[in-house]
Amino acid sequence: MNDIGEFALLLALATAIYGLVSYVMAVKGNRVDLYFSADKTPVIVFGCVFVSSAVLLRAFMINDFSLQYVWAYSNIELETFYKISSFWGGQKGSLLFWTLLLTAYTTIAYYQNKKKRLEVFPYAMCVCLSITIFFLLLLNFSTNPFERLPLPPEDGRGLNPLLQNYWMVIHPPTLYLGYVGFTIPFAFAMAALITKNLDDSWIRLTRKWTLVSWFFLCMGNLFGAQWAYVELGWGGYWAWDPVENAAFMPLLVATAYLHSVMIQERKDMMKVWNMSLILLTFVMTIFGTFITRSGLIQSVHTFDEATLGYYFLGFLFFVILCSAVMIIKRLSLLKSKNELDSFLSRESSFLFNNLLLLGIAFATFWGTIFPIISEAVRGVKITVGPPFYNQVNVPIGLALLALIGIGPLIAWRKASWGNLKKNFKLPVIAGLIGGAILFPIVPLNSKAELFTYATFILCIFVMVCILSEFYKGAMARMQLNKEPFVKALGILIWKNKRRYGGYLVHIGVVCIFAGIAGSQAYSVHTEKLLKIGETLEIRDYTLRHKDLKAIQQTDIKTRIIALLEVEKDGKVIYVSKPEKEIYKGQNQPVSEVALHSTWKEDLYVILADYREDMSITIKVYVNPMVSWLWKGGLIIAIGTLIAMWPDRLERRRRLERMKKQELAFSPAQE
Amino acid sequence: MAKKTILILGLVLAGWVFFTPYSVSAAVIISDLENALMCKCDDKCGKVMINCTCSTSDKTRADFRKKLESGLTTEQVIQIYVDKYGETILSAPTKTGFNLTAWLTPFAALVGGGLGIRKIAQTWLGKGRKGDKKEEGDVEEVKNSSEPISGEYSKRLEKELDKLEL
Repeated sequence: MNDIGEFALLLALATAIYGLVSYVMAVKGNRVDLYFSADKTPVIVFGCVFVSSAVLLRAFMINDFSLQYVWAYSNIELETFYKISSFWGGQKGSLLFWTLLLTAYTTIAYYQNKKKRLEVFPYAMCVCLSITIFFLLLLNFSTNPFERLPLPPEDGRGLNPLLQNYWMVIHPPTLYLGYVGFTIPFAFAMAALITKNLDDSWIRLTRKWTLVSWFFLCMGNLFGAQWAYVELGWGGYWAWDPVENAAFMPLLVATAYLHSVMIQERKDMMKVWNMSLILLTFVMTIFGTFITRSGLIQSVHTFDEATLGYYFLGFLFFVILCSAVMIIKRLSLLKSKNELDSFLSRESSFLFNNLLLLGIAFATFWGTIFPIISEAVRGVKITVGPPFYNQVNVPIGLALLALIGIGPLIAWRKASWGNLKKNFKLPVIAGLIGGAILFPIVPLNSKAELFTYATFILCIFVMVCILSEFYKGAMARMQLNKEPFVKALGILIWKNKRRYGGYLVHIGVVCIFAGIAGSQAYSVHTEKLLKIGETLEIRDYTLRHKDLKAIQQTDIKTRIIALLEVEKDGKVIYVSKPEKEIYKGQNQPVSEVALHSTWKEDLYVILADYREDMSITIKVYVNPMVSWLWKGGLIIAIGTLIAMWPDRLERRRRLERMKKQELAFSPAQE
Repeated sequence: MAKKTILILGLVLAGWVFFTPYSVSAAVIISDLENALMCKCDDKCGKVMINCTCSTSDKTRADFRKKLESGLTTEQVIQIYVDKYGETILSAPTKTGFNLTAWLTPFAALVGGGLGIRKIAQTWLGKGRKGDKKEEGDVEEVKNSSEPISGEYSKRLEKELDKLEL
């Protein structure tokens, strides 16, 4: 069976090469026969990779330890659920999984566009197939997941216990769906550059793909943060690890693109910029993969056998070179009617939004690569960790937060001071009142607390800005159509999905900002050795050590569980059960955090150590507002789904906009 | 002049906020140390001490306490670790020498980007104004050729545009 998987990978490579060559020859020589011959190759490649993936998954399920990869990342006792996640737990499998998603996306794009955009479609397929060929070359000749062991062992090494968490089953696929998804907008952008079809059509073709990929990347980052929070046991959720940064950067660049593309749609401006942003987003995804698979930068996420660095570095340079050359070659065609009616306009706010988003992306990139630069220049390898990113990115992030509120309230083209005063009066007053109310409540003893206070004020300001948009729109409908408020609000959102979906995403982002600020500045923790019956106090909570149990879960896994009664205001509110899991053959036990989460704060308990006399060392954190992050993520998900939902009215609006543009830019014609 | 004063004040404030060290109280000294130093375990976990949960980090934390109890300051403890492991033990680059570029470059890029946007916006604004003049010229022609557009119509048009461009 494994031979079939291996052969399917070879077949996929051969088909992809054939497809690429045929497509190129078909479009170059105007050969319809070759075009039809190349047609369906993306689907066949997907079929082959799917078969190969199914064979590898089967090997995990039946404990086929003759495969080195299965032996390295699974064992007999591993639960089925985690056997699935073992598939992408190591470098070889994750690369196959990446290729599976890439070919699946290419197939969807193929069916979506094969009859629509014949002028760009073959070129887009060529780009997709070229990228697929790169991954298939690696899978076939450098990091084959079907590599055999000469003497198959009876049992495997097992999956890293830290990866045996449900978030780890969800987080990597979600992140990969985001990463890989940006290949399609990149392919269509390159196709538009090659074929000189540089009107708005490539944007319309790729907008939804960008949004879907952005959504998955955003959720992937949040799921990763959840995993770190509940599994790593250090009370935090984001460590500015190079690989976390690598997932964060394309998200920022794609966010900048999703905003600036609106200017091109409305005013036919910034064509070069938008093209550059979408290409940069893809480059960033490859850069992220390079970091994970090169071992060049020390990271928690780096794969054990990170040996593909040079291949990815070469590929990265190739992609950058192709993108830059194509943009330079098409510069004259990308010239747009860049006109600004006023500095005080939404267009300008988008320019600053892009500046700040790319500013954070650059600061993150700079921090990630600075250890390499330092080593090259001074010969000294240094570390760039959380203090750097917090000090550099927090102020830029705050400016960005303010802009989230300011942007939607500034009119397109030209805003008048009177209009601005009218629109910002309420949010500014609300922010100031909020600040005044919070002033005696929140501590202001350190710089971090000062920043947090500023963040809260800005959050109130932005929230009122956004909510006032909903309110104004719903009220207008109410008056016009005599509808009840809730119905008017519902119809308003449904009829303007893109706009109000976007606003909902902004609300989610505000919640995340508030959650980060609250949890970073006001978190407290303590650690204590407790005998049975002894207590530990932290903030309003009293934790009493009641019991310590050992449970032999399986032959290889033992759970040590501490039982602690948690009292608040003299009442027992719940029993906390932090635990340590000991896996046979693993050096260190894994902590399972006990979490009691409310909208106000999380009580986060870790069993740090235990002794034979039943005494335990526990570490307790009270982390305010962490749940705001996850709720913010949920709001972002809802907002993105609304914004992505097919909208028939959008086409009409676009046509109206185009008409208006024609009128605005060619007044002499009439 | 007022703009320049505001700009200078803003830069001074930004400099103070970004480049002065965080306040240190006795209660947070250990946390400061944990924030300032990386874990140096054999597994090369690559985590900053405050985030690290490996057994080596517990030993290091105990060593921090011991050193602080012996009367050493935070800076002295950090220096001991830097002498032992080199600069790589620090969780962030120092704000001296070449390392200063790590801190300044992002802000320099941001300022450069801001100035670039300003220049581009001014160019685009110029084009827009030229366009406006051209449009005004057209309006003049219209004015000459037909009835003048009343202020009432202009106001109505502006109102309609305001509604549309919310």
